[in-house]
Amino acid sequence: MRKNSCISIVATFLLLAAITLVKTPAMFAASSEAGSTPVEITIDNFSFTPPTVTVEAGTPITWTNRDDIPHTVVSSEFVFKSKSLDTDDKFSVTLTKPGTYTYFCSLHPKMTAQVIVR
Amino acid sequence: MKMAQRMTTQKSNDEILYDHQQDGVDRRGFLKCMAWAGTGALCVMQGGVLHSFALSDPAVATRAAKGDLSFIQISDSHMGFNKPANPDVAATLKAAIDKINALPTSPEFMLHTGDITHLSKPEQFDTVDQVLKSARPQNVFFVPGEHDVLDDNGKLYRDRYAKNSKGDGWYSFDMKGVHFVGLVNVMNLKAGGLGSLGAEQLEWLEKDVKHLSKSTPVVVFAHIPLWAVYPEWGWGTEDSGQALSYLKRFGSVTVLNGHIHQTMQKVEGNVTFHTATSTAFPQPKPGQAPSPGPMKVPAEQLRSLLGVTDVNYTRKRHSLAVTDSTLE
Repeated sequence: MRKNSCISIVATFLLLAAITLVKTPAMFAASSEAGSTPVEITIDNFSFTPPTVTVEAGTPITWTNRDDIPHTVVSSEFVFKSKSLDTDDKFSVTLTKPGTYTYFCSLHPKMTAQVIVR
Repeated sequence: MKMAQRMTTQKSNDEILYDHQQDGVDRRGFLKCMAWAGTGALCVMQGGVLHSFALSDPAVATRAAKGDLSFIQISDSHMGFNKPANPDVAATLKAAIDKINALPTSPEFMLHTGDITHLSKPEQFDTVDQVLKSARPQNVFFVPGEHDVLDDNGKLYRDRYAKNSKGDGWYSFDMKGVHFVGLVNVMNLKAGGLGSLGAEQLEWLEKDVKHLSKSTPVVVFAHIPLWAVYPEWGWGTEDSGQALSYLKRFGSVTVLNGHIHQTMQKVEGNVTFHTATSTAFPQPKPGQAPSPGPMKVPAEQLRSLLGVTDVNYTRKRHSLAVTDSTLE
């Protein structure tokens, strides 16, 4: 009967694993949204849209320049700094430390915005 | 040009070098004249006195010949820009050079007040150098715009155009008794900020002009305006006040800037501030558009909004005459 209990333990394990996988797709989906669906910020008409973005730590953030003039994305504390982005160029960053990161365009410093990381 | 001839031409008095406290500036006349600039009239400020000439007026040639020093300011060539506002900035830069080459007397040198390129790329600098090869004035002095120092803190720019400069690329030189100072106010721009000169450059400037006699005419050139043209769009330099304080004692100071892609002039005491048009694309007037980006205009109007600036110094007058003309 050892063999049987062994099998039953393994079976239970597998069942529990299956249940976990099946039962909580919502949880997985939620955490994948927070953890890996990138957040998009558009640069156009000398502004960052949306100007304030709140993300979960570890979420990739992507800026796309749709303006007809180059811009950069530079954090005020230099945590992140893009190269110059011409029209249609992109820049991505993933922040893991919670906090408020103000950033600006180093070509047009009046352009400011912020990312809040939870 | 009938209108130009009707304009009152005041004789300048050599004894009154400039009497800005009494404000000898004929502002209404100046503004009227500036409105004609697009159709080919030249407005010349000389010691606070306004003269106007049609571009074809032989008096221009005579004045240029009598001047002791004549140079050109060009600005904002943005080599590499290719959007609808101007799909061919090399052609309009070439047109500007052709215009300069057509002047009756060749200016002695040129000042380029920055945004030479659009993206600081080597091939863009190369193209500008190519076009400038055909200019009669072969001596060109540059200061960088923010578009020239992208991604490398200006190293490529300095290697090409500012080998003997200090710090981020500032320097000075003398030409026929006029002292020229090239300043860099496009580095280390801070969030929400304006152009910036920085402590090191200001210290250097103070020392640089300290021992000059106050009758030495001084020309300062930098990319971003050294006066608050329109801070909402970043059109100003946060610490220019300190720089100007070192120049307060001089009888004649001319500040030449670019960056805003339109002509603006302001006289404050002994200082004349002037911004040049771009050779690439125009930008809106302050507050007349949601943002200061390239302004699209009908193709046939483009060249009338681009141009060059002619500067003449006559030793007797101790001041510089600054004349803007458009490409068309």
